[in-house]
Amino acid sequence: MPSAIEVQSLTKHFGNVHAVEDLSFSVETGRVTGFLGPNGSGKTTTLRMLLGLVKITSGTATFGGKRYQELDKPDHHVGAVLEATSFHPTRRAEDHLKMVAIGSGIPLSRVDATLELVGLSDVARRRVGKFSLGMRQRLQLATALLGDPEILILDEPANGLDPQGIQWLRTFIRYQASIGRSVLVSSHLLSEMEETVDDVVIVSEGHLVLQTTLAELAGRAGTSSGMRVRSPEIDRLTAILQTIPVGFRPLSPDIIAIDGATPEWLGPVLAQNQIVVYELVHERGSLEDVFLQLTQGFAAGHPGAPDGGGAVAGQAPPSAGLTPMPGSRA
Amino acid sequence: MIKIIRAEWLKLRTTAVPWVLGGIAMLINGLLILVIFLNHGSNGGGPFGGNGNDNGPTIVLGPNYPHTVQQLRNLVGSGFTGYLLALLLGVLIVTTEFRHKTVTTAFLITPVRPVMVGGKLLMAAIAGAGLAIIMFATSMIGGGLTLVGVGGSYSSLLDQVPAVLPGMVLVFILFGMLGVGIGSVLTNQVAAIVVTLGWFIILEGILVSLVHGAARWVPTGAAQAAANINRSRSGISSLLFNWWEGSLLIVAYGLLFAALGSYILTRRDIT
Repeated sequence: MPSAIEVQSLTKHFGNVHAVEDLSFSVETGRVTGFLGPNGSGKTTTLRMLLGLVKITSGTATFGGKRYQELDKPDHHVGAVLEATSFHPTRRAEDHLKMVAIGSGIPLSRVDATLELVGLSDVARRRVGKFSLGMRQRLQLATALLGDPEILILDEPANGLDPQGIQWLRTFIRYQASIGRSVLVSSHLLSEMEETVDDVVIVSEGHLVLQTTLAELAGRAGTSSGMRVRSPEIDRLTAILQTIPVGFRPLSPDIIAIDGATPEWLGPVLAQNQIVVYELVHERGSLEDVFLQLTQGFAAGHPGAPDGGGAVAGQAPPSAGLTPMPGSRA
Repeated sequence: MIKIIRAEWLKLRTTAVPWVLGGIAMLINGLLILVIFLNHGSNGGGPFGGNGNDNGPTIVLGPNYPHTVQQLRNLVGSGFTGYLLALLLGVLIVTTEFRHKTVTTAFLITPVRPVMVGGKLLMAAIAGAGLAIIMFATSMIGGGLTLVGVGGSYSSLLDQVPAVLPGMVLVFILFGMLGVGIGSVLTNQVAAIVVTLGWFIILEGILVSLVHGAARWVPTGAAQAAANINRSRSGISSLLFNWWEGSLLIVAYGLLFAALGSYILTRRDIT
C-alpha cells in the first residue's frame, strides 16, 4: 500500500535558523504515526510545510505524490488541527464550521454530524471566545473532520487537555485509525502517545533521529539497564565487583547501582559469595527514558550542538541505558 | 469563487465589524446632513462652494437651503466620506484573519493564496457597494425629507442622483478593494489601521497643502473627482481630474495594492 504522507529531504531555513534539515520519513496508510521530539525540534514547521502554510526551502512533502496546494478539494483529503487559538472569539462554534464547510463545498449537514462526533452539540450556538481550551481542541478536531478526510494531521492535540480529555483523545485517534484513516500526530511527550501510536518518527533539532515501530522502540526500552542492591555488606560486595569487569556506582553508604546487570547474572554472584541482601531492584528503562536518551543523545552529538560530536542522522548514539553489560557475564 | 465569497460573507457577518462600521457610517451621515442645513440656515449660502464651478469660497444669496447643482450634489453625496469606512472594512477583512490567526484555517481551505486574496477583494467590493447604498439611502431619506421640510424641491435633489450615485458606488467599491490591498501588505491590524487613517486624515492633507498639484493624484482627490463631489473650501477642486480620470486613478491604486498584497501574502510563512 502506498504511503499516505511522504516527506523527502525536507529543509527549512528561517534566515540563519535551520529549523528543519534534510528530514525524510513516511506515514503509512491506516496507521497512527507519532511525530515526536522536544519543543523546538521542528515538528510544527514540518507539519506547516506539509500543509503549504510555510514555504519549503528544499525537498518535498506530499500526500500520495501531490503537494497540499495541488490536491483537488484539499480538506476532503487532509484534515489538520494546528493550534487552539485560530478562532474568531465572537463567532459561534457552528458558524465557524459552516464557514469552513461553505468555503470547501462540504454539505452543511456535516456541521451537525461533526459537532456530535466531538461532543460539542450542546454548545454549538456558543461563541468560541467562551470555550475552554479542551473545547477549542474538540472544535479544531471537528473542523478537521468536516471534509471526511482520509488523512489527519494533529499538532500537539493533547496540549492543555486534562487527563479525561487526553483519554478521550486517545480513543478518538484509535477510532480514526480503526476506520482506515492515516494519522500523523505530533507530541513532545512520548508517554502521552505510547498507548495511541503504531509507528514513531523521532526528531531532534530539525533532524530525523529514528523512524521505527512502537513495538521496536518498546523492545529497546525492555533492555536491562542495571540492578540496584541494598546490603549491610556493601564494602565486601564492592571488593568482589572490583575483581569483575563491571561498572558500578555507590548511591548511598548501603546502596550501589550495577550498570547493565541482570538478576540472572547478579543472583548467582551474591549467592556464591554469601552476601546478605535487603533489597534487590531490577531497573528497566521506560519508553520515555529511551525517547529522552535518543533525543538528548542526538542533541549532544549533533554537529550543530555546541560541543559538536558528529552523530549521523538516523543513527542513535550509544547511551548508558542501552549499553550491553561488559563481559557478557549474564 | 462563489463559495469563497459566501464563506467570506459568513465570516464578515459573524463579527461585529460590519455592523459597527455601518452604524458609525449612518450616524456620521446624519450629522453631516445636519451640518449642511445648519450652515445654509446661518449664512444663506453654503459651505461647500456655491455654483458647481468653485474657484474659491463663494457666498450665494438665495434660499437658505441647498438649491444649486453643486449643493444638491453634495447633499445627495453627503455620506461620501463613508468611503473611508469602506477602506477600513477592506483593511479589517484581511487583518482580522491575522489578528485571530484564522488565516491558518483560511489558507487550509483555499491553499492557492491569490485565489483567497481575490475572494477578499470581491467581498470588500460587495461590502463597499452595500455601504455606499446605505449612505445614499440615508441621504435621500434624511436629507431629502429635511429639504422638503424647509421648502426645497425633492425632484431637484433626485435630478442630481445620476451625477453622484454611480461615482459614489464606484469609489466605495474601489476603496474597499484598496483596503484589502493595504491589509495584505500590512497584516498587523493596529499598524494597518494607524497607517491608513494617518494617511487619509492627516498626511494627505499636509501633502496637498504643501504641494497643491498633488491634490488630483492623492486617493481622496481621485475619489472626489470620480463622484463629482466637491468638499473643498480652498479652491483645490479645480485642480482635480474629471470623473473618469479620477475613477481610473483609483482603479490603479486598488490594483497596485491588491497585486502587491497578493505577492507578499503568497510568499509569507504562516507560522
